[in-house]
Amino acid sequence: MNKTMQRVTAAVFCLFIGGLGLLHILMPDRTFSPVENRNLAQFPTFSWTSLKDGTYTAAIETYLEDQFPFRDKWMGLKTGYEYLLGRREFNNVYLCGDTLISKVYDDSRAEKNLQFIAQLVEKTDLPVYLGLIPTAAEIWRDKLPEGAPSFDQVAYIEAAKDTGAIYVDMLGALSAHSDESIFYRTDHHWTSLGAYYGYTALMDALGVEPEPQGEGETVSEDFYGTLYSTSGVHWLQPDSIERYISSDGITVEDVYNEETHGLYVDSFLSEKDKYSSFMGGNNPLYIIRNPNAATDKTLLVVRDSYSDSLAPFLTQYYSEIHLLDLRYYRTSVADYAEGNNIDEIFVCYSVENFIRDTDAVFLGQ
Amino acid sequence: MVFSGLPFLFFYLVVTLLIYKLTPLKLRNLVLLIASLFFYGWGEPVYIVIMFLSIAVDYTHGMLVERWRANDRKARMAVASSVFLNLLILVTFKYYDFLVGSLNAITGWSIPLLGVSMPIGISFYTFQTMSYTIDVYRKDAPVQRNIVTFGTFVTLFPQLIAGPIIQYKSVADQLQCRREDLEKFVSGIQRFCVGLAKKVLLANAVGKLWDVFLATDTAQLTVLGGWLGLAAYAFQIYFDFSGYSDMAIGLGRMFGFEFIENFNYPYISRSVVEFWKRWHISLTNWFREYVYFPLGGNRVSKPKWIRNILIVWLLTGIWHGAGWNFLLWGLYYALWMLAERLFLGKWLEKLPAALRHIYTLAVVLVGWGLFAIEDMGQLGSYLAVCFGGGSLVDAFTLYQLWSYLPLLVILAFAATPVSGKLFRKLPERVQAVATPVLVLASLILCTASLVDASYNPFLYFRF
Repeated sequence: MNKTMQRVTAAVFCLFIGGLGLLHILMPDRTFSPVENRNLAQFPTFSWTSLKDGTYTAAIETYLEDQFPFRDKWMGLKTGYEYLLGRREFNNVYLCGDTLISKVYDDSRAEKNLQFIAQLVEKTDLPVYLGLIPTAAEIWRDKLPEGAPSFDQVAYIEAAKDTGAIYVDMLGALSAHSDESIFYRTDHHWTSLGAYYGYTALMDALGVEPEPQGEGETVSEDFYGTLYSTSGVHWLQPDSIERYISSDGITVEDVYNEETHGLYVDSFLSEKDKYSSFMGGNNPLYIIRNPNAATDKTLLVVRDSYSDSLAPFLTQYYSEIHLLDLRYYRTSVADYAEGNNIDEIFVCYSVENFIRDTDAVFLGQ
Repeated sequence: MVFSGLPFLFFYLVVTLLIYKLTPLKLRNLVLLIASLFFYGWGEPVYIVIMFLSIAVDYTHGMLVERWRANDRKARMAVASSVFLNLLILVTFKYYDFLVGSLNAITGWSIPLLGVSMPIGISFYTFQTMSYTIDVYRKDAPVQRNIVTFGTFVTLFPQLIAGPIIQYKSVADQLQCRREDLEKFVSGIQRFCVGLAKKVLLANAVGKLWDVFLATDTAQLTVLGGWLGLAAYAFQIYFDFSGYSDMAIGLGRMFGFEFIENFNYPYISRSVVEFWKRWHISLTNWFREYVYFPLGGNRVSKPKWIRNILIVWLLTGIWHGAGWNFLLWGLYYALWMLAERLFLGKWLEKLPAALRHIYTLAVVLVGWGLFAIEDMGQLGSYLAVCFGGGSLVDAFTLYQLWSYLPLLVILAFAATPVSGKLFRKLPERVQAVATPVLVLASLILCTASLVDASYNPFLYFRF
C-alpha cells in the first residue's frame, strides 16, 4: 500500500472515532426517546461511594450509549444488516413481507389464567362473556417464516370454552376476514376494522343483529406502532388509523384523572403513540355513556388495550360501558360488577396478553 | 472497559491515542501506564489495588533475582516466592470459592465463601507477570530497573484482559524502544477493525443461535439441533476470542508494539494435536515453556511423559474457569493428545484429508459441549441427544437453520484462510483502495451493532 492510501486509511479511522466522539459531546442531550418510549440516561452525578462500587462508571457508559448521536438511525442500520443476512426475526417480532407480527410464545400463566375466569363465572350471577382475541400471529400464521415457532392460539381458545363463560367467537369472526386489514402492519393491535368484526362476534353471542360498519374516516396516515419500535425495522410504510363511530353525544369519564372527554383524544395523533387516541391510552377505568344507545344496559369490560378501539362500536348498543384494566385497578371483578349495576360482564383480551397477564387473579376474587 | 464498546471506541481510544502521539518519546511509557490503569480501574475501581500490588511484587522479585544471581539457591527462592504470590492472587480471586464450595459439598463443612467478583483479566496478567521473574532468572531477559517501564508491561491495556499472554522476554526490547510509523499504525488499524468485526458482527450474532439451543429443553432437542448448537458455540467462541486477540494485536501496533499471534485458523486442523498448535497459541506456549518443559517434557520415561501431559492439560482446563466441567474438558483433551501421540496419529495419517477434518471437528465440537454447558446433568443429556438420543430434526430446528444459514456460510468462510488469500490476490491498487473502504464499512456496521445492543425499548405499552 502506498503512502497516500495509508494516510487515507489512518484519516478515515481517526476521523470516524474522533468525529463521532466529538459530535457526541457537542450535540445536546435528549431526555426522552419517542421510538423507545422511555427516558434516556443523563450524565450521572459524582459521588465517592458510586465510584468505589463501580456504579458511577457504569452509569457513564449507559449515558454514552443512550445519548449516542443518531441513535435511532444506527438501530435501523443494524436491523437492515441482519435482514440482508437472512434474519426475519428481530427482538421477538417477525418480519413477514410488509407486515410485522409479534411472536407469541407459551407462558406458564396460560392455564392458570383460564381457571380465574372459571372462578369468576362461579362467583357472579351475571352473565360472563369471554372473548379471547387471536393475534396476527394466529390469523396470519401462513405469513410467518417457514417453521417459525408460534403459540397455538386456536387450541388455547378451544380450551377456554371449558371455563363456563359464554363463548364469543372472535376467532371465527377474524378468520372469516383474514384477507382484510384487520391488524396494523407496524403495531400489535387490531385495526378499527378488526375491532368491528370483534364487535359483531359479541353481538352474535348476545343474539343481536350487529349494526353495519359504516363509513370510515382516516385520522392518521403516519402511524408507526409498537412493533416498529421493538423490531428496529424502520423501512416499512406507516399505518393509517380509521374511525367508524362518531363521538357525538358520547362522554368518556376518565375516573382516575377526573377528566371527561369524547371517544377519541386527538392530541395523541401528533405523538408517536397514536393508538392511544382511542379513549386516551392505558388508564385504570373509563366509564363511557351514550344516552342514544339502543338499550339502557350497562356493560363491564375487563380488558386490555384492544378494547380501546372496540369500545366505540359497543356504544351503539350499551348506554353505559365500564372499561376496567386490572393492571391498574386491582379489584375483585365480581364485587365491582355488583356495586355498579352491571348487566353483563365481558372479559376481552388478546391471547398474547392474556396468557402472560399477571393480574388475572383479580378475575377470580 | 471492553474494546467492543462505545465508550472505549469513541472516547477512551481517541483521547489515549491523541495524548500518546503528542507526548515526547521518553514519556510515552508513562502515558501508557496511566491510561492502562484508568482502563483497568474503569470497570472495578477498587481492583486497581491489585495492579499496584502486582507491579510492586514482581518488580521487587525481579530485582532480588538479579541481586542474588551469584547464589542460585537464593535466586530460586525469589522465583518461587514470585510464583507463589502470583498464584495466591489468582487462587484467592478465581478458585477460592470453587475449592471451598467443593470441599464443603464433600465434607459437609460450612467454611464461608468469599463471594467477591473476579477481577477482569486476572488469569491473563498473573501469567504474564509470572513469566517476568522466570525469564529474568533464566537470563532470557534483562532485569527491568525502571518501575514505569515495568508497570507499563504489567498493565499494558491492549492485552491486559484477554491476551495474547505476552511473555516478558518477547516485549523486553520493545518496552525500551519501539518503531512507530505510519505503516505500522495503519496495519494496526486494519487488524483492529478485523477483530472488531469478528467480535461484534460475527461472534455476537451467532451467539444468539447457541443461546436458542442451550435454552431448549433437552427433551425437545433434535440431533441436528444439538450439533447446530455446538457449531454455533464453536463459531462464537472462536470469533469472539480471536477477534479480541486481533484487536489487542492491532491496538498494540498503533502504540508501536508487536505481539505474538494467538490463533491460526484452528478449525482447518486435521488432528487434535494440530488444533492446539493453532488455538490460543500464547497459552499453549506459556504452559509448554513454564510447566511442560521444566517437568521434562517428552524427554523422560513414558509414564512420566503421560503424567506431564495430564498435568499440563488439567491445568489448561482449570485455567479456563473454576468449575468441574473445565477440569473435565482439560482431561478430555489430555486423553485425545495421548491417544493421537501413542497410536491414533498413525492411523489418521492413512485417512483421506476430509475424514481427518471431520474427526477433528467432531472431537472439538464435543469438547465445546463440555466447555460450555456447566450443568453436568444437562451436559449429559445434551450430548446424548447429539449422539442419537432424540429425533433427527424438526420444524423448529429447520427454522433456526434457515434463519442463520447465510451467517453460518460467512462464518465457515471466515474461519479458513481463503478470504485472506483472495484479498491478497487482488491487484495491489485494488487492495490499496479497498482497505480504507473496508475499515470504514466495518466501523459503521460495528457502531450500528453496538448502539443496537444498548437499544432497550421500554414497552409498557406492549399490553
